[in-house]
Amino acid sequence: MPHATLPSDPLPAGEIPNCALPGTPLADSLPGINACVHCGFCLQACPTYLVHDDENDSPRGRIFLMRSLLEGTVTTDDPDVNEHIDRCLGCRACETACPSGVPYGQLLEATRATLAIGRGKPILARIILSVFKRPWLLRPAMLASRLLAATPIPTLLSKTPGRFGFAMAMLASTPRGIERGRYRASGDGALGSTAVLLGCVMEGLFTETNRATERVLIHNGYTLNEAPGQRCCGALHAHSGDLEGAKDLARKNISAFEKSRADFIAVNAAGCGAIMKEYGHLLRDDPEWNERAAALAAKVRDISELLSAAGPKLGGALPVRVTYDAPCHLHHAQRIMQAPLSMLAAIPGLELIPLHESERCCGAAGIYNLIEPETSDLVLDEKLVNVHETRASFVATGNPGCMMQIGAGLIRDDSPMRAVHPVDLLDASYAAS
Amino acid sequence: MNLDEVSARLTEVVGERHVLTRVSELLVYSSDGLPGYRKQPTLAVFPGTRDETIAVVRILAEAKLPFVPRGAGTGLSGGALADGVVLLGLHRLKNIISIDVENRRAKVEPGVVNLKLNRTVAPKGLMYAPDPSSEAACTIGGNIAENAGGPHCLKNGVTLNHILALTVILPSGEIVELGAEEGERDGYDLRGAFIGSEGCFGIALDITVRLIPRPQVIRTMLCDFTTVDAAARVTSAIVASGVIPAALEFLDGPMIRVVESSIYAAGYPKDAEAVLLVELDGLQEGVDADLETVRRLALDGGARNVKVARDEVERLRLWQGRKKAFGAMGRLSPHLVVQDAVIPRSRLAEILGRIEGIRQKYGVIVCNVFHAGDGNLHPNIPYNADDPEESERVHLAMKEIMQACVSVGGSITGEHGVGLDKMGYMDLIFDPVSLAAMCDLRDAFDPERRANPAKVIPTHRCREWMAAPSARASAKAVQA
Repeated sequence: MPHATLPSDPLPAGEIPNCALPGTPLADSLPGINACVHCGFCLQACPTYLVHDDENDSPRGRIFLMRSLLEGTVTTDDPDVNEHIDRCLGCRACETACPSGVPYGQLLEATRATLAIGRGKPILARIILSVFKRPWLLRPAMLASRLLAATPIPTLLSKTPGRFGFAMAMLASTPRGIERGRYRASGDGALGSTAVLLGCVMEGLFTETNRATERVLIHNGYTLNEAPGQRCCGALHAHSGDLEGAKDLARKNISAFEKSRADFIAVNAAGCGAIMKEYGHLLRDDPEWNERAAALAAKVRDISELLSAAGPKLGGALPVRVTYDAPCHLHHAQRIMQAPLSMLAAIPGLELIPLHESERCCGAAGIYNLIEPETSDLVLDEKLVNVHETRASFVATGNPGCMMQIGAGLIRDDSPMRAVHPVDLLDASYAAS
Repeated sequence: MNLDEVSARLTEVVGERHVLTRVSELLVYSSDGLPGYRKQPTLAVFPGTRDETIAVVRILAEAKLPFVPRGAGTGLSGGALADGVVLLGLHRLKNIISIDVENRRAKVEPGVVNLKLNRTVAPKGLMYAPDPSSEAACTIGGNIAENAGGPHCLKNGVTLNHILALTVILPSGEIVELGAEEGERDGYDLRGAFIGSEGCFGIALDITVRLIPRPQVIRTMLCDFTTVDAAARVTSAIVASGVIPAALEFLDGPMIRVVESSIYAAGYPKDAEAVLLVELDGLQEGVDADLETVRRLALDGGARNVKVARDEVERLRLWQGRKKAFGAMGRLSPHLVVQDAVIPRSRLAEILGRIEGIRQKYGVIVCNVFHAGDGNLHPNIPYNADDPEESERVHLAMKEIMQACVSVGGSITGEHGVGLDKMGYMDLIFDPVSLAAMCDLRDAFDPERRANPAKVIPTHRCREWMAAPSARASAKAVQA
């Protein structure tokens, strides 16, 4: 059972003779590739290996392909290489299995950035990434989605075959939160100031969860600072090979959050928190920004970390059956395993049902479920089997992608179970006290 | 039948996704657990059911094509490398067919992962004893090929002692039953010949394993030492005392420091030059007495500290550090060689001293992690295979370590198998007559010598070996 410590020692140096891709992000990542000794301990942790039964779709296989790209035994336009690298969820479950500390997530980003040189991304991916970069496109898109989600239309269309139906099911799942009363959040502010990352999807489609986040922070002794000018965190861009886009967004966020002067940046989306904690790595080669990036990254906390540090305060009785699904970018990328459970433990009356393979990816993986539907569905099917088995009323998971992915699966399976954020449950519990 | 025709027929059986023919798809199958080797298969085929496996083997028999069976590719002797031949992956055969709690046995397919079997039977109070360090990834089929061991084989025995029966498809396509689920089979019991045959005798289609009850009490202790020598002497003392630990494992200083910087950091003292991990299991009373015996032997023998795991969490943590040690070697360099010699336990201190001398002579890093109770050494030497000068030094050091082990009456492999990596050492311990007898046994199972060709027995030692054309072609490639 691995521990929540990040690798700190230097990775092995060593050169590849006649490197085929000098000067690329992949070539810069060679020490990370060198750390893989091919032991295979990652195989059974990898969701795509388990559904495809091919080592090309496994972490050590993909690392072998990365090395082969550098050695020149395969080229960046090789369709097989692109297929298997594209098919990686980026869930980083291999990192919490790897004894050698291979920084797989960083290797994947570098590989995708290197492959992106000289080839186009799928049109759907390009549209999504482009919208998330531009607030004047993102806000109306989210508003339209929210208005549509409030109608019965997405539910009616949720079983339409293909990705359109799945996207409708995702949308239909968003307003299915938890009914809760109102309460006046008040606290002593003794634990420090926070600035909340509002997030694109969170503020767009899970507005109520964002407000709940603010209330529970105050209730647990934090104060709130505004951080105007904050943008998309850049995670989707970094994971899709658009490192420049991600860096640009990171710089804007660093400026915005520096101005907030908050002690902590509170993040309630695991994927966003993971990339923000890696801003220092992302901007490591930018002399103007690298120190500021590292300083800001050190202030980033998942909401569960902040609440766990505060206790959190006990709420009122909430007699519900809940199961917990660990978001990959919380469990594997940020190594936060116990804190979300401490939030649920602060709710009297809540019955926690263990979820088999809770830390296995649900197949959402950012925009993966829209551009790699076949594998995403296979991975989701396995998750849903385990979820149904719990007979819980709610699946708690702290990431919007996972909430929508599991939520959509539940709607398509005609299940009354709902996917919610742990913050929603805690907020409802406070309202009940 | 040419390769294209074979590929077409295999595709009909297993589906297009499960036959790989393009070089870019086959690349990742050019290494197993030892990345210093690269051998490229011509084709890879992954049957998904028993019937598909039978059909695949029969097509290969008809085409007279040599093939290499592969499980999870975690082996450490290069045994699953297919050099210019067909790679037959069995990892999709991952069903646990039945669990018979009353009779304490289970029937599984060869691709079932070792730890998965153990997790499945644990709630029933049972366990499958052999636990190689790669248990989280390796398959039962691969364990049978290598007659795998693991820390807990000290008390419980190796894979051979836990396999009751097998259904095997011979390379010719004929199906035979070896052993019997209910006690002894009439006539020769050929399980012992098949288990450990490294994929050269055929493929197990289903396997009936023995399950044993989980012990009532398990206590795990960590003894730490400031010298390797003291730890080695205490190991010999424990074995001589008559206590039979469930496991008795040894990690030296360099290995401890690698493990402690990984996510599997176990709490081994970083300034120690050796630790012994001793596990005792059985009935409460006996375990308590043995624990005191071991504690006294360790402290009398110079242990700085003896710690007993307080709870299951701490106990598993101590074990994870040991089991993931091999995988953590990537912290030092991209490639490594690992030796698997078995020596008399009474010579442990002497051999570890000689290994240290060899390390200094060649200027290499050696990390020792091994099954001390069995005298089964695993010196690991990390290196960069892209540096020819360093590779040369490392391989000379390895050879000298092996010679030292053999000179005190040791054997060249305890549990990893001979495969490709240890083939050159076979001459050190076997005379030509013995090697020829092994070839004869192999011929009884695979007269065409198509299964895992050019492995285990050095081909020039095998009478008439060169007569088989398929084997000859592969042997040339290996020697080149």
